[in-house]
Amino acid sequence: MTPGGLTDGARRRLARAAVLGLAALVLAPAAFAEDAAAWLANAAAAARQQNYVGTVVYQHGGYIETSRLTHLNDLGEEFEKLVNLEGPAREVIRSQGEVRCYYPDAKVVRIEPRTFRNAFPSLSPQQQRALAEFYEFRKAETGRVAGLETQAWVFQPRDGLRYGHKFWADPATGLLLKARILDERGEVIEQFSFTEITIGAKITRDMVKPTWPLAPPDWHIRRPGHGDVDMKETGWTVNRVPPGFVKIVEGFRRLRGDREVAHLVYSDGLVAVSVFVEPVGRTPHPVGLSTQGGINVYIRQLDESLVTVLGEAPAVTVRQIANSVARR
Amino acid sequence: MGEQISRLMDGELEGTEADAAFRELKQPDGVATWVCYHVIGDSLRRSGAPAPGFSERFAARLAAEPTILAPVPRQAHRLPFVWAAAATVAAVTVVGWVAVSSLDSQSTAVARAREAAVALAPQAKKPPVSPDYLIAHQEYSPTTQIQGVGPYLRAVSAGGTDGRP
Repeated sequence: MTPGGLTDGARRRLARAAVLGLAALVLAPAAFAEDAAAWLANAAAAARQQNYVGTVVYQHGGYIETSRLTHLNDLGEEFEKLVNLEGPAREVIRSQGEVRCYYPDAKVVRIEPRTFRNAFPSLSPQQQRALAEFYEFRKAETGRVAGLETQAWVFQPRDGLRYGHKFWADPATGLLLKARILDERGEVIEQFSFTEITIGAKITRDMVKPTWPLAPPDWHIRRPGHGDVDMKETGWTVNRVPPGFVKIVEGFRRLRGDREVAHLVYSDGLVAVSVFVEPVGRTPHPVGLSTQGGINVYIRQLDESLVTVLGEAPAVTVRQIANSVARR
Repeated sequence: MGEQISRLMDGELEGTEADAAFRELKQPDGVATWVCYHVIGDSLRRSGAPAPGFSERFAARLAAEPTILAPVPRQAHRLPFVWAAAATVAAVTVVGWVAVSSLDSQSTAVARAREAAVALAPQAKKPPVSPDYLIAHQEYSPTTQIQGVGPYLRAVSAGGTDGRP
């Protein structure tokens, strides 16, 4: 069809439609960006501010784990206790800028300083644009989760480089009661879901204390290192960053026996992919792809460095990032 | 040979052609090719390995299936063929999974299929991933922050990537 074959009226209508379409393209993502970012900020705030206790089921592949979660916000300070209810006991205590993971069968406690950053109130304009450009955000059905009426929301990816996400939120508080990650065929690859929860429960400090002393005397204490990234240029870069991903962090951190590891984080506003580069010498290390639910991990050895890339993104995305890691 | 087996899998063979393909499937190389193609197909579809004991359960269910003797007027002469096909498929399926699990070192075709599977399908077990990395990562993950709980579950999950301390 050629424009020459159209009447003037038809051509004008086409032009108008084109302008309208363009306007919609320009305006809609802006409105969307606010909606999606505001919704995410609200959900993040609810997770931090509400007091709640409940049972959460974590599923990926054929694997199911049930845990008890208790969360307390005491005058702005957050405390959290997570205890798994099946298999070898694992207990995670989050308090006062630390995460402690207790492994009683191995008599090991890992202590990690953490300064819980709050990403959502400060999603960068770039991240907000990425959200709008690469996901369709929409309200879905209502339904019951953990005995409560919830509203479902969907982030539908617009390309194959990210997963779909569906969230069920308590309308009164905004707290998420269920979250799913879906692959390109719409199949659930990971799910967190409360099976029962009390929101606004009376939670005391005792309820979020570890079952064991802070550091049991005959246990092995592991302190993997300083929590925060020492922000600076690492000398590493990703040459082919997948569209929509923006670098939000670059620096060094101390992990694994005090070795300095370069850590770069790329985010599309909804998920993040981390790049870790650590010196390992010439010894060959196991490399390749591994998957745990919605997280893909790709490891490759680059001369004397081990590159580990992981994130809540499809294998293709993680692999593309890993394969384009290079010295700046 | 490979092409005939491939066409058989796609349901394109009938009559003598199918019989010839079934004869090939009685040879070790034929079985290996059949298994190889199925593993490749499964990998491409990301459908993964069958649950443990699948072949035993399948064989038991097949044995328990009632034999349907209702007459099929027009295609009556083909009934034996259909049954032969079903039986062959069942046998090959059973043999096939046994082959995948026990004979892969003996058959280059199966070994190649395994390589293909390894290259295409995410590996459940290796390489090990340090929970350090998972925990360090989650701090910056936006989805993680709206759940509050997910990252730690992932990082310490006993059945996960690396539940060890």
